Amino acid sequence: MSAKALRGEDLEVVLAEKRYETIGKIVKASVRKREAKLTFSDMLDKVFLHKYLGIPIFLAIMWAVFQFTFEVSSPFMDMLESGFGLLGKLAGDATTPLASLWADGICAGLGFIMIFIFPIFFLFVALAILELSGYLPRAAFVMDRAMYKIGLPGKAFVPMLMGFGCNLPAIMATRGIEDEKDRLTTILVNPLMSCGARLPVYVVIAGALFPDYAGTVVFSMYILGITLAVLMALLFRKVIPALKGKPGPLILELPPYLTPTPASVGMLTWERGVVFVKKAGTILFAGAVLMWFLTYFPWGVEPGSAESYAGKLGQAVQPIFSPLGFSSALVIALIFGFLAKEIIVETLGILYGAEEEAAIKSAIAANVSPVTGFAFMAFVLTYLPCLATVGIVKAETGSWKWVGFLILYELLLAYAVAAVIVGIGSLL
Amino acid sequence: MEKINLKAAGGYALVLGVLYVSVGVLEILSWIGIHLSGFVIPGDLFGGLALLVIGTVYLSGVKTLLAGKEEGLAFLFVGAILSATFGVIFLLIMGAHWLNYWLGEEEFSTIAEFRPEIWLFFISLPVAYFIWKWRKLQK
Repeated sequence: MSAKALRGEDLEVVLAEKRYETIGKIVKASVRKREAKLTFSDMLDKVFLHKYLGIPIFLAIMWAVFQFTFEVSSPFMDMLESGFGLLGKLAGDATTPLASLWADGICAGLGFIMIFIFPIFFLFVALAILELSGYLPRAAFVMDRAMYKIGLPGKAFVPMLMGFGCNLPAIMATRGIEDEKDRLTTILVNPLMSCGARLPVYVVIAGALFPDYAGTVVFSMYILGITLAVLMALLFRKVIPALKGKPGPLILELPPYLTPTPASVGMLTWERGVVFVKKAGTILFAGAVLMWFLTYFPWGVEPGSAESYAGKLGQAVQPIFSPLGFSSALVIALIFGFLAKEIIVETLGILYGAEEEAAIKSAIAANVSPVTGFAFMAFVLTYLPCLATVGIVKAETGSWKWVGFLILYELLLAYAVAAVIVGIGSLL
Repeated sequence: MEKINLKAAGGYALVLGVLYVSVGVLEILSWIGIHLSGFVIPGDLFGGLALLVIGTVYLSGVKTLLAGKEEGLAFLFVGAILSATFGVIFLLIMGAHWLNYWLGEEEFSTIAEFRPEIWLFFISLPVAYFIWKWRKLQK
């Protein structure tokens, strides 16, 4: 009879347990120990790695991180926004295409997305503190049992957590997972971890439609992403022949707890945040100009109206999304969001002709119901990774087949999740 | 060498645990729409759950500490770290809201902004003495 049949557990886990049992016996018989003092790290590990308290503590800390990100960055966003507003007025009335490009395309479009540099950097500051303090490896350890149950190895936890920052380096970080099936499953579910680029969408829509509970609504998107990743990992492990099987056991060396220095936190934050700054100077700038052109041309039409190029595009695709209640403006934003998720907010700003966060929030509150807004946020969370992430998935899997599968399953899942939200919302 | 009074630490952990759990329950009830206390307790589901977690951490160490075992200090220390994390974050949030008020973006009420996470953090500060003393004894 196999070990699996005897214990009802995975053979590798049983072998690992037996191996450590034997090591323990040998050490006990051959090493004489002096009574060692408990270190501060030992004390903290007793609770942070606690069987029952470990996961609730981790969730509470993550909630605090998102409160910090959302609330503390808000006045800085307002200040930068005012700065861009003043710059936009330098060109005077936007009556010529060039003046309109400056005021409506660059200052209102790109400027609007630039203000999200604050919540993105604040999130990275918080994650850097957790990482440098030594807590994140503990979180991986605490989550290992849960990760194993959902069909992912404990080593997948760090790439999954990195996905909250950016899916691109997170997918590259899966290289540390030895087993190919484990690695592939982690890559396929990683885009469901809500990256920093999606944060501006949540901040604007939650702030507009759920002003009293914005932080909690944003947090719920992250929880939804984690839940979907769990469900998809379980499903893939059971259904897809190439991914069937159980993950490998976790072997991890826990570093001692340290107090992070401002310099080390700053360096790690900059290393990660600079990706957004580079994106703003390239793809987001190009996206703002393209969106301005589609919204304001043919020159002379009402910007974003049915006669504009963007309006025509939205009308062509919108019927697919009408069961979800998405307007053509939301649909256009989703289409351009494939380039980079930040463009969604940029697009809404240009389409609604809103130059300030307060104006776009008013426009959203006037045009979008809370249920549709929540479904839209869930759709943005789920529907597609950005273009750059698709490229890295191709590079890491070496197969267009997996890229195609990722795009297809995410689109179907997004539609299904949004439909469920709209369905439940209509009953309330 | 002077030792840590573990029973006193246990008693303090009990007080903090009960306070955190009570306020956590009140925040959740307030979120549902049931307002039981005369204090300003915000309605916040996740905030309430987080306070329950911190309260549970404190309470988990009480029995061991009252039995005179040093291991119980671990729960008191981690509880204090969590209290400080939440207290500092809500102080920063209070500061950010004040800055928004200064910019003319929103209203500001000191009483409403002084969240329970902040005053509970101040009440937890004496735990720093136990941490300092324990670390001194370890050296």
